[in-house]
Amino acid sequence: MSTHHHHAKDFLFTYVFSQDHKMISKQFLVTGFLMGFLGLVMSTLFRLQLGWPGESFEIVELLMGSWAEDGVMAPDKYLALVTMHGTIMVFFLLTAGLSGTFSNLLIPLQVGARDMASGFLNMLSYWFFFISCMLMLASLFVEGGAASAGWTIYPPLSALPQAIPGSGTGMTLWLVSMSVFIVSSLLGSLNYIVTIFNLRTKGMTFTRLPLTIWAFLLTAILGVLSFPVLLAAALLLVFDRSFGTSFYLSDIYIGGQVLDHSGGSPILFEHLFWFLGHPEVYIVLLPALGITSEIISTMSRKPIFGYRAMIGSMMAIAFLSFIVWGHHMFLTGMNPFLGSVFTFTTLLIAIPSAVKVFNYLTTLWKGNIVFTPATLFSVGLVSTFISGGVTGLILGNSALDIAVHDTYFVVGHFHIVMGLSAIFGMFAGVYHWFPKLFGRMMNNKLGTLHFWISIICAYGVFFPMHFLGFSGVPRRYYTNSEFPMFDDMLDINTLISMFAIGAFIGQLFFFFNFVYSAFRGPKAPQNPWKGNSLEWTSPVEHFHGNWYGEIPHVYRWPYDYSKVNAQGEYVYGEDFIPQTTPLGEDEKDGGH
Amino acid sequence: MTTITMENISYQEDIRRKTSKPLIWIGIVSIIMFFGGLTSAVIVSQGGGEFLTIDMPFAFTISTVVILLSSVIFHFGLISIKKGNYAVAKISIIATLILGLLFIATQYMGWVNLYENGVYAVGAESTQESSFIYLLTALHIAHLVGGLISLIIVLVKTIKERYTLDNMLGMQVSITYWHFLGALWIYLFFFLKFIIA
Repeated sequence: MSTHHHHAKDFLFTYVFSQDHKMISKQFLVTGFLMGFLGLVMSTLFRLQLGWPGESFEIVELLMGSWAEDGVMAPDKYLALVTMHGTIMVFFLLTAGLSGTFSNLLIPLQVGARDMASGFLNMLSYWFFFISCMLMLASLFVEGGAASAGWTIYPPLSALPQAIPGSGTGMTLWLVSMSVFIVSSLLGSLNYIVTIFNLRTKGMTFTRLPLTIWAFLLTAILGVLSFPVLLAAALLLVFDRSFGTSFYLSDIYIGGQVLDHSGGSPILFEHLFWFLGHPEVYIVLLPALGITSEIISTMSRKPIFGYRAMIGSMMAIAFLSFIVWGHHMFLTGMNPFLGSVFTFTTLLIAIPSAVKVFNYLTTLWKGNIVFTPATLFSVGLVSTFISGGVTGLILGNSALDIAVHDTYFVVGHFHIVMGLSAIFGMFAGVYHWFPKLFGRMMNNKLGTLHFWISIICAYGVFFPMHFLGFSGVPRRYYTNSEFPMFDDMLDINTLISMFAIGAFIGQLFFFFNFVYSAFRGPKAPQNPWKGNSLEWTSPVEHFHGNWYGEIPHVYRWPYDYSKVNAQGEYVYGEDFIPQTTPLGEDEKDGGH
Repeated sequence: MTTITMENISYQEDIRRKTSKPLIWIGIVSIIMFFGGLTSAVIVSQGGGEFLTIDMPFAFTISTVVILLSSVIFHFGLISIKKGNYAVAKISIIATLILGLLFIATQYMGWVNLYENGVYAVGAESTQESSFIYLLTALHIAHLVGGLISLIIVLVKTIKERYTLDNMLGMQVSITYWHFLGALWIYLFFFLKFIIA
């Protein structure tokens, strides 16, 4: 009995309430992917409506029941799905899923620590995230349905429970869920920052940190500085909704009735929301950029080009992300001079972004590239970062933005630059560090197939959206077939939906590969990609503490690949030199 | 080879020593951003042009004196422990605790005063500026409750004489947070005085 009790306790503390960063990382990954899968299903369902408006689909009726009578999605449910898709993908998959997984897995392993600064806070961070996921999903099933005001939940639509069905209980749950989510994110960020600053192993100076760690550090700093402001925004909204205050509301008529609110402004919400919202783009993107920097260098068997420039450009991006929020608000009656200031700061981001792209390409250039799925997805990120970034120049410019504001052009832009780049970075990370996460290898052929389907279908979905936007097709509309001026665009919408279905099928290959390999994949060697960073020096099997005996010391930066001597021979007989190898005489440390 | 287990006491102590202070400081930064966001919201709202001014209750001035005094006394407690004088330290911490509660009482008095003068927190008769006054002060108190809980823990540990010259990390973390709460109130006080009142 007591042994049984002991085992049950072991199970509980090993797999459920674990304080080991590696287990917490897996918890974030699995939860994030489950949420991401739901977000993907939602988008595929509403793409059916957009591609073939008003047509009946058995699958839609099967999955949505009374929300789609006769197989046609109800308009209010369409709005709810669009809102939930955005919320889930931005926050639950690409913020918590991405940062939570890789910051947790890699920070202690790559800086040389046995665990995070506080395992307890780390565990709390995951469970707050889990609760926020449950609350968000529960909101789908309450009266009136889930929040439907778009993922940006602008008032007055979100502030008046009587506005639309989704502004009722669903919206309340959205706000509660996000508040819990913010607490989770803050607890995580606190831990990441303190671990990187205070628990590095001997010799691990800041110029010897892998770029992944730099990216996670800057992401966490962005989180600590911007999420509290979203919490403030949400709090004021809760008061307006439930206690009759007027922070965001003024002179509102609804159903012929004058409401008692006066003096507030919905623009205030936009300021507060986008003060988080824009850094949030980089909270999503920076970890992906860090992950791919590491993978591209390792898989090109070349040192990263411009290590310090990479750090500097990430710092510049992080800093600039706080002074560009106004570019989301050019059409709010903003003073044109202020608009020009925001245009200027926004366009400045092109400079560090271009530095990063240049460095990626020069690292790949003449490299001895090993084409794993991780490499492919990393190169895919470079592609989407360029093509999505270029359209950012149009949207960042207030004069041009006016023409395409709130059209599909915007949808195409941010899905490519933020959505695809971040998810490609996440896939790259999963393929690359799967051996570290599960001690097994994923199937490369399935991974390669997954990549090609994903990139072709993703461009197939989002590239044509720019043409829709140029033609003035507005985003978020339930159906475009009601407006004669958009009739010519219907074929493009059908094509986009076909690619969306293709992309959905492509992800099934990934999920199969992921689950199968986690249990049945071939056992992984300790250092499958011949990497230099510290995580590959820890044993394959997981135990709390990461290294047997002493934590290894570090003597060099992590990008000593293909280092040759004057005779053209590899310095240490291999094309990689782990960070734990002491510097030889006359050998210079690359990061300095 | 031996496996390093995370349950090793000296290892955990070492980690705590290295990380407790940075954790509280970064936590403080996030609270600063939270109140920074809210007070910026006041300024942005003021730009709307319909902003009314409100008379600041005198009780809030008393709050300011009370919280400043509490910080000084708490610090005195820390110095006493460093000198090994637990009796004085205990009295200081109890006094800090009482002053903390008194701070909340004076805040409440301020609210009553505002309410009696027709300044409402919520409902149809509330205005943006009146709601902001209540919200900012209430949120400060919400953070102060955390400080009071930490004070109680510090008090228990002081009574049990757990703190030594080498190990008074918990108290130092608590005092850092308490001083921050004081500074935050001073900021809010002057902000309310010059922006809303």
